[in-house]
Formats: sequence, structure tokens, C-alpha cells
Amino acid sequence: MATVKNWQISRDMEYPYDEHRPKRQWAIIFDLNKCIACQTCSLACKTTWTSGKGQEYMFWNNVETKPYGSYPLAWDVRVLEKLGKQEWKKNEPYYGKTIFEGADPTEKAVHFAPKDEDWMYPNVGEDDCAGTVVAGDHISLPHDKWFFYLPRTCAHCTYPACLAACPRKAIYKREEDGIVLIDQSRCKGYGECVRACPYKKSMYNTYTRVSEKCVGCYPAVEQGYQPMCVQNCIGKIRIMGFVNPPWKARNNNPVDYLIHKLGIALPYYPQLGLEPNIYYIPPIHADRDYLAQMFGPNVDSAIAKYKKLKDDPVAQGLLVLMGSSDRILHSFDVVAGQATGYDEKGDKIVSVPVHEALVERPAFDAKNGTIRNNTP
Amino acid sequence: MKVNSFFIALVIVNLLTAGSLKAEILAKSVKADLSAFNKEESLWKNAKEEVVTLMMQPMVAPRPKVTTTEKIKVQAIHDGNWLVFRIRWADPRRDDAGKLGEFSDAAALMFPVKEGPPPPIFMGAKDNPVHIYHWRAQYQYDEEHGKKEMKDIYPNMSIDMYPMEFKDPGKVKGLTKEKREQYVQGQAAGNPQSYAKHAVDEIFAEGFGTSAVIENVESYGKGVWKNGEWTLILGRHMSRKNGSSLSVGKDTHLGFAIWQGSHDEVGSRKTVTMSWTPMKIEK
Ligand code: SF4
Ligand code: SF4
Ligand code: SF4
Repeated sequence: MATVKNWQISRDMEYPYDEHRPKRQWAIIFDLNKCIACQTCSLACKTTWTSGKGQEYMFWNNVETKPYGSYPLAWDVRVLEKLGKQEWKKNEPYYGKTIFEGADPTEKAVHFAPKDEDWMYPNVGEDDCAGTVVAGDHISLPHDKWFFYLPRTCAHCTYPACLAACPRKAIYKREEDGIVLIDQSRCKGYGECVRACPYKKSMYNTYTRVSEKCVGCYPAVEQGYQPMCVQNCIGKIRIMGFVNPPWKARNNNPVDYLIHKLGIALPYYPQLGLEPNIYYIPPIHADRDYLAQMFGPNVDSAIAKYKKLKDDPVAQGLLVLMGSSDRILHSFDVVAGQATGYDEKGDKIVSVPVHEALVERPAFDAKNGTIRNNTP
Repeated sequence: MKVNSFFIALVIVNLLTAGSLKAEILAKSVKADLSAFNKEESLWKNAKEEVVTLMMQPMVAPRPKVTTTEKIKVQAIHDGNWLVFRIRWADPRRDDAGKLGEFSDAAALMFPVKEGPPPPIFMGAKDNPVHIYHWRAQYQYDEEHGKKEMKDIYPNMSIDMYPMEFKDPGKVKGLTKEKREQYVQGQAAGNPQSYAKHAVDEIFAEGFGTSAVIENVESYGKGVWKNGEWTLILGRHMSRKNGSSLSVGKDTHLGFAIWQGSHDEVGSRKTVTMSWTPMKIEK
């Protein structure tokens, strides 16, 4: 085991390989306040990558309803149960065990092995609410009866468990963008990655008899485009970019800004120790204890800051840029009510008004002599 | 590779108790054609059955927590060109994999490639490779019945359509094998695992995690599972241009590994021999 730096838990930790950060690190941020579980992302991924034999029930991108939804079945609670009770105090590093540190000497990581029936219900628990709504219930924040949607891809982790567990070294992390790939010609289908990934984002193909996973849409990323699940997001809740570690964070980088400068986008289950690179703006209405076990002790401050965004024109501009272009925004600025995204060379990609102009029209259309009606 | 004292203790315990140290296999010369599977029982009547002790692979994680296959019974015969083994071991359930999360029963037979003292038993070492014959019940199914289609694995699964799969592919203009396989990643990448296999894989390795499948196979295997026991007949050509080359009168060494699918054994989760078993090939 090597000692590596994991900034998400503010301490060094044990990992089977040395620390090696890629030149750039692929990352997606999801604003969970805006996801509507339309599954357009799941279908965008499916039609692009997993329409073949053996991939029928495979969703590299999935959206599950929390707390009861999960794909594969109960992946989150089963991993946490295996890891056992751990503590993480506010404003302190995480001193509990990661899945690497808690592993039995016979294993590379604390894990469970899902069976086929665990993958058969990708939409289980959809729209199921935590608690029964009874007469007289009303809504206050956070909601008493709540649920939220959690869209998930592979996190192209800085310390991937899938890669650590593969005895054939058939999994590699790309130097140029940090995308984690399974070599489809070397894999022998031992399924160690399927067992070891706590997020269960490595999947076994029963037809090809090798394992597969989200490829981060690397062919698009190589050409400066965001992944299909990001480009096609109906709710415009996603942005893909390249995240830096906090000591290299750049304030004009959209993802660095949301993760490091503002601190409103948090990694999920960072305590597992993988330094996952999908980040979530937590939903303001859901149960705080539940959110804290998923996003760590910074969830309260993230939500507090999110609620104040109306006073922050730069952050507002950035949220408007989410979903405004298919291209990867390497930098952005917000000047005079106009948010602009730039490519790697600094050339303008897209420019949008932070507030759309408000047009008022009188109820009576004098020219046509008729009442205006909003009914489509 | 780090070896902790626990492993070393295990190795010592194994060396003290191992039948594998005492076992020495003598391949009896027989007058028969062994170039293909020969089911004749009488071939084996003079071949002494040796018991070889196995234990859970102790060196690298992920590894098993218990020894599932404690011993195997081995016999060997040859016809001057082909060397054939009969290996038997207890396995309460027959597994040939297919469904997700299911693994196949399997066995492997390992030979040093170079002459002289054999390399480390743990799949050889850099510049001192081993030649492995890896039989899987799953591969045997491929050879006997063809590779399982999705409807064989999940008969009740419903699917609307697969891209480029047509009822009568011959009638579709310009539909090539490549065009169809681009949607089946393992095949598109040319992974032998994704095509129907021969019952035995031949593999070269220079240490753990280095194994590479060889294309030109000169071996055969057939396992029969009955009443909680596998009987595997595994034959190999003795002389090889590359790989381990054997000849009558010459001594060699053997290593064994067994996987029980019902215990989720696959890859490095296996039981193995902890020392080489010497073998003589009768003149
Ligand atoms: S497309 Fe966007 S809004 Fe729709 S489910 Fe996916 S992440 Fe949510
Ligand atoms: S999310 Fe899972 S599959 Fe993806 S890189 Fe991390 S450990 Fe590997
Ligand atoms: S990044 Fe690409 S491959 Fe990964 S989930 Fe999204 S669409 Fe699928």
C-alpha cells in the first residue's frame, strides 16, 4: 500500500498504487435541485454506448430516486453496512476508515458482489417518498416528507477501486483526462472491478464475458465536447469540465468555481476514499442527516451558500451557462449581466444573459382585436 | 510484491504437510492414439494415481478465505507425442457460468518453459515464463454447443432489437461482420473471451497478472461432472516450438490450480499447489 493525498477527506490515506494525478481530470457537476428524473441522460448514454448484446440492463448513466431507489439494488446501504459505522466530525478530516483501509487482507477493498437480480430493476423506488403523506401535511424547508433524484455516471475516481482490484491490470486511468477505462481486449471477465467499485459503476457483460463501464464519452471529450448525458440533459442540471485539486484551483474554471471557490458542489460518499469526480449541488429540501451521510459534513454550508446565490451575479451567470453549450467550457466570466464561456484557447464559445429580458404584453391585442391567451 | 509473515507461515505449514511434495507423477507409456480425446477406460489401468495437495492462493489479493479444493487425484499417460492427464476433484456443484455474477468451474495445469530448476510456482517470473493449460467448464460448453446467446442465458428477457441484427442478415446489403460487432465491444476489440472458445486456453505468464492467451492451441480437454466430482481429461502435444517442450525420458515439473464457481472462485481466487510436483515421462 502507498500513502496518497485525498483532499476530499482532508488527509493522507492508503491506496494500492502511488499517487499519480493526471494532467487534467474529467468531472461532472449535477445540480440536484433541478433534476426531474426524465432519464434523457440514461437514454442518451444507452443509445450511444450500450445498445448491444449483453447490455440490455446496463445503464452506465442511471437516475435513481433517493432514499429508496438504487441501481443495482441497495448498492449504497450495502457498501456502507460492509464498511461499518464510521464517524466524520464537522470541520475535521475524516478519520474513519476508507474502503481500502477497512479491507480484509484477502481483498483490495471493502465490497459486496451484486447478483444478476440486483441489476434487474433500474427504476425501483421511483418517486417513492420518505414517509407517508397524510391529511394536513404542508411543505416547509427542509421537507418533512422528501425524496430527490440522483443521476449517476462513473466518477472516474482519482483512486479507482475498480483499477486497484483488477488482478490483470486491464483497467487504466488516462493521463490526458483522468478517464478510467477497461481495456476491452485484455479483460478476462473476473468481475473484480464489479465487486470492488462501491458505486457499482463497473458492469459485467454476460455476452462478451468481459466487464464494461462508462467511458466518459472520451471521443467527444477529446474533441472538446461534453459527454452525451451532459449535452442531452433536459433540466440543464449538468456541466462537465476539468477539475483541479484545491491547491491548483482556478477561479475562472467553471467546475473549480462551483467546487472549490463556492464550495456548493460536493463529491458523493467521499468517505469511501476514492476521490470520486462527480460532484453534486445538494438538494435544499431533503433530510439533512441523509444528505450528510451521502455528501459529508459540508452539506449544511453548501446549502446555505446555494440559498444565497441570488446575491452573487457571477455564480448566477455560471448556473445559466450550465447546459448552454455542448462544448467544454475551460473558463468563464460574467460581465455586465452577460455570462460567457471560453474554450481552451480562450476563444468565446457561448454568451448568455444572466437574466432574460422581461417582455410585458397587454392582455388585449388591439391590432387583431382579440384577447391574448396563454393556453397553447 | 509484498509477502507478509502470515503467508510465509501458511507456506511453511503447507510444505510440512503437503502431499504435493511427496507426490511424483509418472506418465505411463501406452499403445494408443492420444492425439484426440479417447474415452477408453483401460488406458488408465497402469497409471498410478497420485494425490496432490492444494491450498487457497495466499500471495495476492483478491484471494480466497478458505481452501475449497484440498486435493486432486492425478494420473498421466502418453503415446510418445501426446501427454494426457486425468485429474479428479470433489466439487459439490457443477458450474459453467453464464448469468451475471456466476463463475465457472475450472482447472489449470502449469509447466515451466525453460529447462533446469523451475521458476517460482506463482505463475513464473520475468524471463522465466510458464506455459499454462487452462480448462473451463464454460469453455467446454462453447466447444460442445457453441457460445451461449442471450436467450440461452436469460430466456425470459425481453429486448426490442439489437443494432445491425436482422432476421435474415444475408439479405441486408453491405452488412459486414465488423459492422455488427461494433456494438459488441469485447468482440470489436478482438477479445478471445468474447468468442466461442476451445475447451482449453493456452497461456503464457511471467508472474501474476501477466497472463496472455496463445493462439495456436495444441491441446484438448473434456470434463465430466458426476456425483459431486469432476473428472477432467486434458491432453497436450509434447513438443512445442514455443512454450514448454517435453520428450520421452525427460523430467519436468507440474503446477495445478482449481476454481469452484459455486464459491465465486475466478482469476486470483483459486486453490493452487504451493510447490512444483515432479513428473517423469516413461520411456
Ligand atoms: S436528463 Fe438531466 S434532468 Fe433529466 S434525469 Fe438526467 S440529469 Fe436529470
Ligand atoms: S466510480 Fe467505480 S468504476 Fe468508476 S472509476 Fe470509480 S471505482 Fe472505477
Ligand atoms: S459520460 Fe458518456 S459513457 Fe459515461 S454515462 Fe455519460 S453518456 Fe454514458
